[in-house]
Amino acid sequence: MTTVVEREPSAFEIQFASRAQQEHAATFGMWVFLATELVFFGPLFVAYAYGRLHWGEAFAVASRHTDVVLGSINTALLLTSSTLVALAAIAAKSELRKIMRYLLAATVALGIVFLVIKGFEYHAEWREGLVPGNGFHIEGTAQGEAQLFFFLYFMMTGVHAIHITVGIGLLSAFALRGMDANFARADRIEIAALYWHFVDMVWIFLYPLLYLVERHS
Amino acid sequence: MKTKMNTMHPQAQQDFRIAVRRLGTVWICLIVLLLLSLGSSYIRLGIGNSITGLVIATIKSCLVLWFFMRLRSADALTRFAWIAALLILVLIFSLSGVDYATRITYPAPWQTPEQLHAPRFN
Repeated sequence: MTTVVEREPSAFEIQFASRAQQEHAATFGMWVFLATELVFFGPLFVAYAYGRLHWGEAFAVASRHTDVVLGSINTALLLTSSTLVALAAIAAKSELRKIMRYLLAATVALGIVFLVIKGFEYHAEWREGLVPGNGFHIEGTAQGEAQLFFFLYFMMTGVHAIHITVGIGLLSAFALRGMDANFARADRIEIAALYWHFVDMVWIFLYPLLYLVERHS
Repeated sequence: MKTKMNTMHPQAQQDFRIAVRRLGTVWICLIVLLLLSLGSSYIRLGIGNSITGLVIATIKSCLVLWFFMRLRSADALTRFAWIAALLILVLIFSLSGVDYATRITYPAPWQTPEQLHAPRFN
């Protein structure tokens, strides 16, 4: 005999027993995804640790060639954007949709400013000959080791920038369709915010490792 | 939808105000930590520079995890996912670390010539 379970069509998907279970599964899924992201970024940090421990002096000299002012501004921008997106998630939960949209739009704007600043940094580094390859040149230290620092610098910040771009796309969609309660659901905003926070956390570690090595010298 | 916007629940607004205050305080802490981290890098501390930078970064990410990502109110399963990821990260660092620490380094061809001990044939 087949039992027909009655439920609201739009309330939750068929494989879940309740809306709460569905939301929990979605949040947990995002945490598992972020765990794999941590393992994705991990080896890059291992590579950095190896280089810093073996060619400390070259890494320090190379690090002083990065733009600490722009790097610090970008860190502040990301920390602020993380605060705003956390508030957006709370606003979504409280059904304060207008505020949520403004907060998401502000987060997206800060993300775009971050990428623009990063673009200016890359441009300056390109002109200075700091991009690994035949044209690479740096004053005051071994070329090879310093080149490895910049290889890691471009790899880590590049992969991070791709993540920021994805986050901008994600949050823009929720900002634009923020008044659509079915699309911009509170649990979805929460998940998108989790992703943005994670990307912010990666930068929190990149900042001292890439920009602040032995600035006093 | 419009009606909902106009008649915002006062309790929701009150909750939001409290959240603004709490997360605003966390933001101030994060910015202060950023400035501390920046300032400390200009003081000669030897190995202490790297340690300070990483300790401050860890405190900052703990704040983000705890307050922004709301790990403090997360259930055990969610926390376990994060702990498992951290353990895998520790494994990556420790196993690779042991390997690299005990391995002889041969310079790559593009490294500085003085490091390459090429045999002389004349």
